Amino acid sequence: MPVIEEITETLIRDNINRAVTDVFKTMLGRDPVLITSSEAIKNQPWPPFGHAPENASPIIAGTVGFLGDVNGMLYLYLDLDLARMATCHLLGMTEQELDTAGDEVVNDAIGELSNMTVGSFKNGLCNAGYPCKLTIPSILRGSNFSIEPISSTTRQTYYFECAGHRIVADILMKMI
Amino acid sequence: MRYKILTVDDSKTVRIIVRKAFKAFDCEILEAGNGVEGLAMASKEAPHLILLDVTMPIMDGVEMLTKLKADPALKSIPVMMLTAEGGRDHVLKIAKIGVRDYLVKPFKEEVLIEKSKRIVDLQPYAEAPAKAKSIFDPANILIVEDKPAIIQQIQEGLKHTPWKVYGVTEQAEAVEFCAKTPADAIVVSLSLPEESAFTLFRILRNTTQTKYTPVFALAVKTELSQQQQALTVGFTGIVTKPLDFSDLEAKISKAMNLDTSQRYYLIDGGNLVMRLPENCTPAVLAESANYLKPKFAEAVDSGLSKVVIDIHQLKSLHMGIIKLLVQAMQNCQDLGMRFVLVGNPEIIAECKGFEDTRSWTFYDSIDAAKAYLANPNAGAPQLVSA
Repeated sequence: MPVIEEITETLIRDNINRAVTDVFKTMLGRDPVLITSSEAIKNQPWPPFGHAPENASPIIAGTVGFLGDVNGMLYLYLDLDLARMATCHLLGMTEQELDTAGDEVVNDAIGELSNMTVGSFKNGLCNAGYPCKLTIPSILRGSNFSIEPISSTTRQTYYFECAGHRIVADILMKMI
Repeated sequence: MRYKILTVDDSKTVRIIVRKAFKAFDCEILEAGNGVEGLAMASKEAPHLILLDVTMPIMDGVEMLTKLKADPALKSIPVMMLTAEGGRDHVLKIAKIGVRDYLVKPFKEEVLIEKSKRIVDLQPYAEAPAKAKSIFDPANILIVEDKPAIIQQIQEGLKHTPWKVYGVTEQAEAVEFCAKTPADAIVVSLSLPEESAFTLFRILRNTTQTKYTPVFALAVKTELSQQQQALTVGFTGIVTKPLDFSDLEAKISKAMNLDTSQRYYLIDGGNLVMRLPENCTPAVLAESANYLKPKFAEAVDSGLSKVVIDIHQLKSLHMGIIKLLVQAMQNCQDLGMRFVLVGNPEIIAECKGFEDTRSWTFYDSIDAAKAYLANPNAGAPQLVSA
């Protein structure tokens, strides 16, 4: 039975990079780029770490879990402007139509983008010998919140640049 | 009649994307948010294709697919998985239950359309025929079967239709036939020697004239693995031996996308007549129920306000029929239409046995019913209480 130590940081990084790139390219026609420079990451640790700076844009985080030979959760953070832009593109709506439709529509669209991203990420793990299944997505919204994992959890956080916005993929995995 | 495509996904976003993807095509998109709703919708609407997600609350896609394939009335509906669950083992497990295709999210709308086109003959709106072909229009049906007695049986069983049923006994003859005569539907026996049914299927699908022609596999009822193999390679559906001709006719009609409403609904002397045939199988009831609301609405739209519900051909009553009739009566009340029932003595007697039907009153002939609707005050026609 494979254990989590065998899942290397490289495997996780390659999988999340492929998943985010595939989903945003296929569904939104965007090309997110994984930020590798530690300086760029240090400058803006929130989300998911620390506290939001003053006047920070509200954030939407889509969460989907994966359960099986490896268990975990992936939080996909998008600022509200990017979330709205993504929803309009996905559903073929204008900004005005989205205003009328309300937050529910944005939540559902980001839930589905997160589902696709986590699906693609965990399919990579499945094909690497760690079968697992997805859970149903949920959404967090707010201007200042943080997720604190329990101590036995391995945490990997990846930052992407997309159309002048930042996407954060925060992966929490636990040994079984 | 347009193709019906059912999308079963708990994400409204995906359902909207699917609707958007098919917008340019002459088809109706139906939606369900989980497996339970999906099964109910599949039974009610008999869609031509189901797009099915896996991870959903209440009932997931795998359970819905398993139940669908275990239901004789629903198992032939082609299913394409549309899901983020794309691990190799998972895909193989689901493929074994029986799906026609598997599309892993994220997906491009063009890919969804291309894959759907391999299952249903989608037509762009502009090219779609103004009026669907009906069951009263002629069509060419080709039977490819090495036993002439079976060909003869099918010709006999479908002789009441306007269809010309041709029979050939070999693969080469079938190919030659299709090159000369356009076939509207083809039935290929899986008992042809040396698996030539599958070779013939591949040839038909690679030939321009027959690329989209419905091709049914004819198999012995108990040969389940052979039937599964046929569905996996892409046969439109399965017809089983011993033959049930009403089932065969219904399957061919559906695959040819024929308007079958005239079997159940017609305009006669200023009345909408709804009639049920002698043998009301679940497929017949589902077909009739599909047309119920649109036909009643169409009648009201044309200025009609009277309905004859004719069940005099029925041999026996069961809950499915009662449910449909109650729905029809409710529809009449909602639309402000006057209705009368026509039945035969056996059915009228059977109505006494059910709580819901005990109070129904019948006319014993269509003429009596029409006479009453034309002039309700001109003397009492023959009215029979259940």
